[in-house]
Formats: sequence, C-alpha cells, structure tokens
Amino acid sequence: MLEAGFFYLFAAMSVIGGMGVVLARNTMHSVMFLIFCFFNTAGLFFLLDAEFLGIILILIYVGAVMVLFMFVIMMLEVNKAKLKEGFLQYLPVGGVIALILLIELIAASSSGVFNTETIAAVGHFGKDVNNTVEIGKVLYTQYLLGFEIAAIILLVALVGAIVLTLRTRKDAKYQNISKQVNVRKEDRLRKVRM
Amino acid sequence: MANVTFPFPYPQHLELMLPEIIIAIMAMVLLIWDLFLGKDKKGWIAYAAIATCVATAFATIQVTTGGALTTFYGYFVLDPFASFSKLLMLLATVFAVILSLDYMKDEENVGEYYCLILFALLGMMLMVSANNFVTMYLGLELMALSVYVLVGYQRDVLRSSEAALKYFILGALSSGMLLYGITFLYGVTASFGFDAIGAGLVNANNSAHGVVMLGMVFVLAGLVFKVSIAPFHMWTPDTYEGAPTPVTAFISVAPKVAGFVVFMRVLHDALPAVQADYTMILVVLAALTIVVGNVAAIAQRNIKRMLAYSTIGHVGFVLMGLIAANEAGYAGSLVYLTVYLFMNMGVFAIIVLMRRDGIQGELLDDFAGLSKVRPGYALAMGLLLFSLAGIPFLAGFWAKYVVFMAAIETGHLYLALLAIVFSVVGCFYYLRVIKYMYFDDVRIEFNFIESIPMKMTVVVTALAVTAIGLYPDPVMAICKQALVGLI
Repeated sequence: MLEAGFFYLFAAMSVIGGMGVVLARNTMHSVMFLIFCFFNTAGLFFLLDAEFLGIILILIYVGAVMVLFMFVIMMLEVNKAKLKEGFLQYLPVGGVIALILLIELIAASSSGVFNTETIAAVGHFGKDVNNTVEIGKVLYTQYLLGFEIAAIILLVALVGAIVLTLRTRKDAKYQNISKQVNVRKEDRLRKVRM
Repeated sequence: MANVTFPFPYPQHLELMLPEIIIAIMAMVLLIWDLFLGKDKKGWIAYAAIATCVATAFATIQVTTGGALTTFYGYFVLDPFASFSKLLMLLATVFAVILSLDYMKDEENVGEYYCLILFALLGMMLMVSANNFVTMYLGLELMALSVYVLVGYQRDVLRSSEAALKYFILGALSSGMLLYGITFLYGVTASFGFDAIGAGLVNANNSAHGVVMLGMVFVLAGLVFKVSIAPFHMWTPDTYEGAPTPVTAFISVAPKVAGFVVFMRVLHDALPAVQADYTMILVVLAALTIVVGNVAAIAQRNIKRMLAYSTIGHVGFVLMGLIAANEAGYAGSLVYLTVYLFMNMGVFAIIVLMRRDGIQGELLDDFAGLSKVRPGYALAMGLLLFSLAGIPFLAGFWAKYVVFMAAIETGHLYLALLAIVFSVVGCFYYLRVIKYMYFDDVRIEFNFIESIPMKMTVVVTALAVTAIGLYPDPVMAICKQALVGLI
C-alpha cells in the first residue's frame, strides 16, 4: 500500500516535471524541471529494486549532464520568446497528431497486455541480491557486444565533436612551436655581399 | 540468445567478427597515424582506408560459410545474406573514398574524415549482422552519428552545416520512434531477438493486437526514415544537396543497403505474424514514394537535389521487393541495390569531376555541351543515366524487371502498374541531362580534375552497368544465393 502510494507520488511528479520542461517560459526553469523529473524517475527505479540505475541517473544525469546543460544554456542565451514564434501556427496539426497518439497509447495500454494478471507484479529480491553485480553480469556477458559498440559510439561522438569545432581560422595568426624549434640559421640569416 | 552464467565463458566463434574487428582497429590506427602525417601526406590515410576495405572484403569471404552462425552469445549473426550486403557496402565505401581523394584534399582534418567513413561502415556492418534489436539499434546509431558529422564536414559552407543539422534532428526523432516501437514489441514478447519476437507474436493472444500494431507502426516509421521512404523523406533533398558530394554518394548507397537488409530481417524474422497488416502499410508507402520521388525530381535544377528525389523513387521500387515478401522479391531487392550502387557511384563520380575553380558543377546548366569537350565522360554519364531510367539492356532495366515481376506474381498488379507509369515519368528528368550534354552548346569552360582513380571509377561503373545489362544472370544468381541465411 505504502509502495503504491510512493509509486503514484513519483509517477505524478515526474509527469509534472516533464510538462514543466515544455511549458516553462524561462529556459533555466525548464532545466530545473528536467532535474526534478530525473529525481522522481530515480525514485521509480528505487521502488523496482534497481538502486544502481537510480543512483546512476542522479549521479550522471543530474550531477554531470544537466550541469553541463546549464552551462550551455547560459552561454547560448537562447531567446525562448523568439523560439515560440509560430507556435500557434503549428498548434492545430501538432495537436491533432498528439491527440491521435494519446488515444492510441491509451488504447494500447488498456488492451489487457500490460495488466497485473498477465505480467506478475515485480517481487523484491531481498538483501542477498546485489543489483550492481547482477547488472554487471549481464552487461559483460550477454550484452558485451552492445557494450563494445556503445564504447565506439562514444569515441565517434568525441572525434566528431572535435572535428566540427576545432578549426584553425585563416585570418588569425598562430604560433607553431615545432617550426620555431626546428628553425635553422640558414632560414633566417642571409649573407649579403656588399 | 542463450542464458550465460557468470563467470562468463569466452565467446565462441569470435572469428566470425573478423571483418568488423579489422575495420574497428584500422579506424583507430588511422586516427592516431593521422597525427604523425604532414599536411601534404594526408592522402595516405585514404589509400590505407581503401586497403583496409579490400582486406576486410577478403576476410568477409573467408569467414562466410553456407549457413548462419552466431557469436557473442547469439547477438551477432553471420550468414551469406549479411556477407553479401557487407561486400556491397565495402565496395560503396571504396568508391566513396576514391571520390573523396581530390574533393576533400583542401579541407581541414582530412584524416578524421576517412576514419569517420570507416566507423560509419563499421556501424552498417554491425547492422546487417544483427539478429536482435540491441545490436541493430547500436549499429544504426554508430552509422548515423558518423554520417551526421560527415555531412557537416565543410564547416565553412553554410548549407553543409544546415544539412547536417536537419539530418541530425530528424534522425534523432526517427531513432526515438524506432526505440519506442521496440519497447512495445518487447513488452509483448519479452525479447529483443528477431526470431524470438516472431515466435512470440505468433503465440500472442488477441488482446495484444493493438499493442503489436502500435509497436510495428513505430518500428516501421523509424526504419522507413533511414531509407528515406515518403512521407519520411523530407531530410533527403536538403542533406544530399548540402553534404560534400562524395558523402552524398556514400549516403545514397551504403546506408540504404544496410537499412533495407535490416528492414528485410525485421519483416521476415520478427513480424511475419502481422504480414497482412504491414503489407497494407508498405503498399501505400511504396506508391507514395514512387510518385513523390519521380514527380518532384522533375522540378529540380540542381543535379544533387534531382538525384536525391531519384533515390527516393528508386527506394520505392526496392520496397516493392519487400512487399512481395518471397524469395523472388527479396532477391529482386538485393539485385536492385547492387545495380543501384554502380549506377549512383558512377553518376556521382562524374559530378565530382565537374567541380572546378569556384564552381560546384552541380547545376544542370553546368552539363551543357559536355559531349563536345569530353565525349568519354558524356558517354559514361549517358549510359549510367539510361540505366537509372531503366532503358532495356542496361542494368537498371533488369533491376526494375525483377522487382516488378515479384510484385505482380504476389498479386500487387496495381502497384506494379503505377511503378511502371512513374518510371516512364522518371525517364524525363534523366533524359533531360542527356539533352543538356549532347544537344546544348558549351556555356562555361570545363576544367576537369585529372585523377586516374576517379577515371577508373567512371569506367568501372559504366562497364559494370553495361555488362550486367547484357548478361544479368550471374548477379541474379548471386543475390538468390545470398538469401540462404534469411529464407
């Protein structure tokens, strides 16, 4: 009973947080709402005995990703009023699509596939099952290939970001240290016969 | 997808991944090697990339057996189907690198460019070897991420950045849809494996039908975006126009092969239980794609944009093979993709050759009078365009013939008729380029890049198109044989 209560609390709060992200006028408030949403989702993970995922969500997403996000937003100075221009123009089409999707989702989730009779309620494992160890076991066995590919994806993201941003500007002057060190006397000094 | 106990056993048959391992290691080696090369020696990276592709092709042939074998605890499959598509993609990559040799010479960070092409290739090779949604999705993202960067490589060119951004945002949206669909299929069958999902859907009770439909539609939407089928084709013209021409050539062929192979696996292995439903959707999409692609191409003055719409049209024809959903249909789609590789690479090679000081050589006007200055290029371009249009006794004709026959034999007569009508409409814009080349006067001075590898590409593709056109049986037989792993 208590558990169900907490579930509804966390679920409702994360939905409110999600709405807040979209509806907030100030971009910074949107980020704050997203952090709020992440915290509540982490709570849902805790209820499912997946404490490792919950902590990771808070540590990585809230602690690192969102902080970076804030810096980016501060630097970019996004003018949200300008972004919202033409919002009303797209509202009818977007609204209709959203409504159709909502009806479909409600129909799908109430069709009886995802109710408690067909899917047994998740039990608790007790204290001798270590969440972190269990995730590690499947991650480094069954999902090893996926894990490796994800590592390469991160490498590509890194290379791509550097390639697109690191450019020497043609109009700026640069110091070339190796050229300076390797310079020889003959390069700079020329004997002129007088 | 056997359950593995801890401590984990060493994955069996790792040698099946040899092609992927070579590409992954070489991409990283080139990344480091690039640091030690002087500015004038960056071209070596390109030749090393070509050598890597050739070595990988041999490795692929070496590790292929007659049947399907899996490794990495069942998350990676190697069958003739995967191997054949890998060879196609390797060939496309070699062509793309050759096209880049001169084009990218003056860009900054050239070394990383070739590395990213290899990483994109790696992603596609993993995609075609995926027998489950995990490997497939990760391969797809690896490919997509590398391609986004490649499209935006010319940072100083505004339209290149614009193309990359559009592609990125729409690609992220479609990935989201794909993932969302996968969650529904997982919810019903509790599995990521294509075969397991297929079996689970057959046994699923009736109440699950709505959920399965929702999942299927989202998965189809995600896949359809990647191969630019209408109405998910909006990114294609802008991306093709903005991307550096060799990258356009690359993304017009290789990701399409990978996308269609994954498409075939998903339809054949994971969704056979709902074949009637997806066929209905795909017929509508194919008809729309063929109409949109061939009609919109007529209005284009930029040849890269025109070829983008032409790709959309051709993708619609390839989709007809998937709609037929039998051996002849799938083989037809493979034949189409094989032939399309040669045709498109040849055309793009000539477009790259047209670039000269300050002029991109992408407008139709730029081709005026080509036959008077360079009759050889004009002849090759003419052959390739005739083939794209589907004129008999060139390769493109047989490609269309097999998919049309497959569609007619499975009862999609009206779709085939529509396709025939619109491939005639399509002739117009291909022939218009030929008219410019042969019947118009020279308007601007030509000043061609003299590059032997590029000339070889033009000659090889034009010869391949003619040879396959005159004697199509070997290609058709190989494509049929490649289906062993699938059907």
